[in-house]
Amino acid sequence: MSVAIGDSVPRQDAEAKIRGSAVYSIDYEEPHYLHGKILRSWLPAAKITKLDTSKAEAMSGVSVVTAADVPARYGMITVDEPLFAEDTIRYEGEPIVAVAADTWNQARAALKACVVELEPLEVIGTMEEALADGARLIHEDWESYPMRPPFPRDGNVATLVELERGDVDAAFEAADLVVEGEYRAPRHAQASIEPLVCTVRYDDGKYVVHTSTQAPFQLRDGIAAYLGVRTSDVRIIVPTVGGGFGAKLLPMLEPIAGLLSKKSGRPVKLTNTRKEEFLSGAPRENAIIRIKTAVSNDGELLAHESEMLLDNGGYGGEQPIVAGLGPLCLCTNYRYGAIRHATKLVYTNTPPTGPFRGVLATSATFALERHADEIANALGMDRMEFRRKNLYKEGDLGAGGAPLEGVGFEQVLDAVEKVAPWKDLTAEKKPYRGVGVCCALWNTNNAPSGSVIKLNDDGTVTLQTAATEIGTGAVAQGLPQIVAAELGISIDDVHVTQPDTSLGLFDGGAQGGRTTYMAGTATYNASVNMREKILDIASGMLEADKSDLEMADGAVVVSGAPDRSVKLAKIARTVQGTQGPMVADGGHASAGPQGDGCIVGGVFGGFTGGSYHAHLAEVEVDPDTGHVKILRYVVAQDVGKIINRQAIEGQIDGGVVQGLGYALYEDLRLEDGICVDWGFGTYRLPTAADVPEIEAEIVEIPDTVGAYGVKGAAEAPIIPVAGAIANAVADALGKEANTIPLTPFAVLKAIQSDNGS
Amino acid sequence: MPETVATELTLNGNELELDVPDFYPLAVVLREELGLTGTKTGCFEGRCGACTVLVDDEPVVSCIYPIALTYGKSVRTVEGLAESTGPLSPLQQNFLEKGAVQCGACTPGVLMTLTSLLERNASPSEDEIRDALAGNLCRCTGYSKIIEATVATVEAGS
Repeated sequence: MSVAIGDSVPRQDAEAKIRGSAVYSIDYEEPHYLHGKILRSWLPAAKITKLDTSKAEAMSGVSVVTAADVPARYGMITVDEPLFAEDTIRYEGEPIVAVAADTWNQARAALKACVVELEPLEVIGTMEEALADGARLIHEDWESYPMRPPFPRDGNVATLVELERGDVDAAFEAADLVVEGEYRAPRHAQASIEPLVCTVRYDDGKYVVHTSTQAPFQLRDGIAAYLGVRTSDVRIIVPTVGGGFGAKLLPMLEPIAGLLSKKSGRPVKLTNTRKEEFLSGAPRENAIIRIKTAVSNDGELLAHESEMLLDNGGYGGEQPIVAGLGPLCLCTNYRYGAIRHATKLVYTNTPPTGPFRGVLATSATFALERHADEIANALGMDRMEFRRKNLYKEGDLGAGGAPLEGVGFEQVLDAVEKVAPWKDLTAEKKPYRGVGVCCALWNTNNAPSGSVIKLNDDGTVTLQTAATEIGTGAVAQGLPQIVAAELGISIDDVHVTQPDTSLGLFDGGAQGGRTTYMAGTATYNASVNMREKILDIASGMLEADKSDLEMADGAVVVSGAPDRSVKLAKIARTVQGTQGPMVADGGHASAGPQGDGCIVGGVFGGFTGGSYHAHLAEVEVDPDTGHVKILRYVVAQDVGKIINRQAIEGQIDGGVVQGLGYALYEDLRLEDGICVDWGFGTYRLPTAADVPEIEAEIVEIPDTVGAYGVKGAAEAPIIPVAGAIANAVADALGKEANTIPLTPFAVLKAIQSDNGS
Repeated sequence: MPETVATELTLNGNELELDVPDFYPLAVVLREELGLTGTKTGCFEGRCGACTVLVDDEPVVSCIYPIALTYGKSVRTVEGLAESTGPLSPLQQNFLEKGAVQCGACTPGVLMTLTSLLERNASPSEDEIRDALAGNLCRCTGYSKIIEATVATVEAGS
């Protein structure tokens, strides 16, 4: 049965997952593999004064690695991170020693035999402490670290990103009203159900890595950098992945397992415990955001001035790139006469932070949209009217200075109001009831991708791609659906290969909503090339003009003459016997908008595949318990073009619920650099009993680049949630709700405070 | 070595005798001794619910459930919900059709919890379904399509 773009076809991997037969990295084992285990620092800041592993090394069948075994440091941007602490500990959980042994118990005994002595250093536990005059430098030698590209940085400021456009000071002088606010957002753990886990085999100078990753090529580059080998000497193969959300992008366990395998001559499996996940899993950074806006009496925004402090933890990781998004995430949505902004990424003695679905936009959108409500309230203007007046319109300049095309704020607000009219919801203020709306404009990651399609001699096709399925359905549904639709075949006749960097063309990984957009467009291009090749051959076989041919039901048919057809299997065997097997490829790359150069220190001038979002929440607060009950949650999301409606709905449901966790429950707390929450007992994820029904309106504003006009759809639905919820809670209480999560404790405190909304 | 007592149990309908230490977690025995890796271990602290299996028809978190406690009892895992090449159970089929699976790491535990619920209560309300699921964390789906698939199963069965 042929398949169309837009159909809700089921996932190819669902049945194996439902039967329990799918093999995840946590299930994957190699013959005679060893169990690895890591000794991590128990202090957040220290000097290593003694490290003696001789007793462990003397144990039968035990291999030991430390910093002395690692060829190089690594950093995606700033080369600041050793695989094992060299002489300085910069966060609780930093690896010091790793061992491998026949059993987990032997590995544990070997770690106990290692002698490690630490001399505590003063802990720089917060960004305020790190930025204080005369603060101890987390990295004394920061100036000597290579950095590509060379962004501005200074001591404990790991990266500084700035934007200045227009005369900000004059605008503030001319303002009728100045509105100021400070907003705080927590550390947020990705908490995929499958932890980080890998098995690495060192084999004749090459490392063969089976691992739970979102981005096999990005990971490969990091492993190769640490291990001092060519990127092609690292082969990444990806079994079924049990969730990612940004936590499975960077080299963490794999290079350690690689060194242990090289030393022991056996495959080594390393699995994070849940505690290790919380300690070292690179959660979303905690943020402090300050915004000041100059406003005229008629509600015009004369100038926006803002600062964003992002906690980097002990090492850079991917965060200097993430920080580069600061101006685009915070100085956005609204037309401003002038803008001044600084994002500071700050080293602290805390576990390194990293990308999590929606990256900076989650905290920035919360702050910006909370601030928008505060401006509207200060003006005495309706909050929806304020948005409709000031939100971007067609042709406005984006934060980076690039003109915006296909601006869709009106469409998504209209879609929300179609099912939840704002005037009706706000007509009467009921005690402890509130309504909030939150808008966002978001990017689709534009890292390149390539696909190869083979025509098999049974008439099926194989899609060779390194695009990685992490749960969204982009590979299990979207890509084969595109191939099937373009070639007129059943989705069951499209086989998709397992990601393998030695076989698949480059792919930028499952991140930033890019798989359907970038790998999808590459796959579309490969499908079109394959169709052309098939039709060329069929034209000769059927003695018909190519323009009269159609592809349907696994065959090529002459239009209007159903008896004149040839099956794909016959075409495949014919070509194989005369020219060799039939194959077609397709690639896709896309340069993002360049902007006007006003942003200094970032790599992005604007958004690629920009999509528009509006969320609305209606809540009721229990004044006795502080519990926030969600009465209604409405999403309007622009996806460019629907490829698979059911899959998009699933992404909206899941993204919103992660956003509810961020808004209401989740906070990876630290005290003096020590991680307080290291299990699901105190780190509170949303459960089935917490979440409301989510009403989703899907809007299609086509992209100009992606195949069919498609844009990223999976990442964004987390972004507007905290703003919508906080605005609704502030409305319910008539009080500030400027720090998330809005736990019952925080809400009770807000009820008792004097701060107006 | 710790003391071991042969444990006799029924696993997915088949009688079985095991010779492993008493305190071994059921999940470890299933996954490492018996190769039944459908049961996932997400936290090893009994809180995520991914490792949920049924012991005498009641859901338990097998990562902290000592094997000795299964003596003389019936254990059911995700692999026992359908014959390996046979049709899926109605609940499993609805998971497939309603898009209730994303990464799938929580899916086996969720299926076991819901299977047990539907055996005890053939027509649970949506609130009862949500309450029964409160011990199974899912980070991908937001639970909506899991609830939808369960409600569809209840409606088809009534």
